[in-house]
Amino acid sequence: MRRTMGKLLAVVALAGSLAAATAGPALADPPVLPQPQDIVGVGSHTTGPLFNAFSAAYNSYLTGLGDTTSPRLYSWDSTGPSPITTKAGAPAIVRPYDVGTGLAAFNSVFPAGIDFVRADRGPQGGDPTTDVFVALAKDAVSWTATNGGHAPANLTAAQLRNIYSCTVTNWRQIEPSLANATIKPFLPTAGSGTRSFFLAAIGNPIPGPCVTTGPQENQGTDPVLNDPDVVFPYSVGHYVGQVYYGRATTTDAPGPLTVRNVNGIAPVNTTAQTINAAFAATAFGRVLYDVVRQAEWTATDAHGQALRNVFGNLGWICRNSVATVLIKTHGFLTLPLAACGSSTHS
Amino acid sequence: MSRTRARLAATSAAVVLAVTGMSGAAVADAAPAATAATGSAVVTSSTTFLKDQALNGIVVIPLPTADPAYDSTTGITTTFPVTGGSGDLPAYYGDIDLGGGLLFINLFTGKSATFKQLHFSVGNWQITGVPVGGTSPVALLDPAGDSQVSRANGVQTLTSTDLQVDPAGAQYLDTKLKTSFFKGGQSVGSLAINFTPAS
Repeated sequence: MRRTMGKLLAVVALAGSLAAATAGPALADPPVLPQPQDIVGVGSHTTGPLFNAFSAAYNSYLTGLGDTTSPRLYSWDSTGPSPITTKAGAPAIVRPYDVGTGLAAFNSVFPAGIDFVRADRGPQGGDPTTDVFVALAKDAVSWTATNGGHAPANLTAAQLRNIYSCTVTNWRQIEPSLANATIKPFLPTAGSGTRSFFLAAIGNPIPGPCVTTGPQENQGTDPVLNDPDVVFPYSVGHYVGQVYYGRATTTDAPGPLTVRNVNGIAPVNTTAQTINAAFAATAFGRVLYDVVRQAEWTATDAHGQALRNVFGNLGWICRNSVATVLIKTHGFLTLPLAACGSSTHS
Repeated sequence: MSRTRARLAATSAAVVLAVTGMSGAAVADAAPAATAATGSAVVTSSTTFLKDQALNGIVVIPLPTADPAYDSTTGITTTFPVTGGSGDLPAYYGDIDLGGGLLFINLFTGKSATFKQLHFSVGNWQITGVPVGGTSPVALLDPAGDSQVSRANGVQTLTSTDLQVDPAGAQYLDTKLKTSFFKGGQSVGSLAINFTPAS
């Protein structure tokens, strides 16, 4: 009887997990108000949809095991109504819309209200040394331009640096055969990890006066980007998820943008429908993280154990096959097993 | 019994150090350039692993330019110098070239295997080596446990609380040494790498 019940629970858990892994875009924001003990995150748009899917699958996994008491995993989108109350008992806060605003909220407001931050950049100067960046998956960042527009198929890192420092402002300065038109470089929001990583990858230019800041990262549907002369950085993994795995929504989609080559290397392996491994093995490859607090990450209490159960090297994200499928079908690359859950800090 | 095991381990360690010190086995390492990459990979073999090795007649000998040292508490610590590579530890790509080599001997069967051209594959998180007489690298050891990576002042570091035998390495060694001692996932000890890329 007990064995039958165990098998039944396992089947239910597997069915729920597989359904979560193969579904299209996951629901935005937590469907219920998370409880104080739950693991709740905010931050980057790049891994927002992935964490919505993680939340659904992980909570389904626990339920399938008959576990009604372990902390559940929830993730707040980077877009949507604001302010938000992240969990019961937490104060309302302005919705964080990127890793920068996520970390600011994480490090400054009611600490128990946010347990982790989705980060699409590594630690950098100014981050508290008590913020631990736990590796989750690999991504890459390239540049995009409108399909049928004036941009070429390839730009070098040096050309991109010149475009964003505004020393190159016309396509003719790139190649005389290109259109005689003014280049319109855009950058995502100031706290975007895609923005800071991209700028670092092209040599850290100080964005010049020709650069416009503002669109949400990885959303080519913003009307300002529908222009033949736009250049806009983009998460390659997020792009792959949107284009090849049905992760796009009406707003979270490439729109008219297509991802372009850097230094002659294509960012996407269109045959395998993944990030091109050769592209990821350049300065344009990056690691995606969950940021947690050092003291909580190493604590031996139930909260510390719950964090490690989700994010640790032996945790659900690194070890569960459904999580692996979700990482791949959101367009990202998995890390070597031993590297998943490894940590770093500034 | 435990005293016997301890003596075996100590003897094994002494053999390792003695043979290493006398070894004339030269492993071809890349000549360092003026701006070459620097650093080291430090492998600590735990006393538990050393005892198990000794009981199974297995001796692992670091070959020059690897530098072994023994401590009765922590076990054998072997430092492999960095000789090159363009790895990026915090970004999880590239390779780090290591000097020295590894000689595995089964004292019970007299069989041995030697590896040279050691690398730490950052993308795969594996220490690999090319068997003498072969051309293809074999994955030997994998960092595991709690791992931390960092980059500060141009120096990249990786520390792992566990270091495990890679399944491919276990299969290769068991076959070559005619033993069943090695297992994929077998804990060896720990790993610490520091790496400063060439500039």
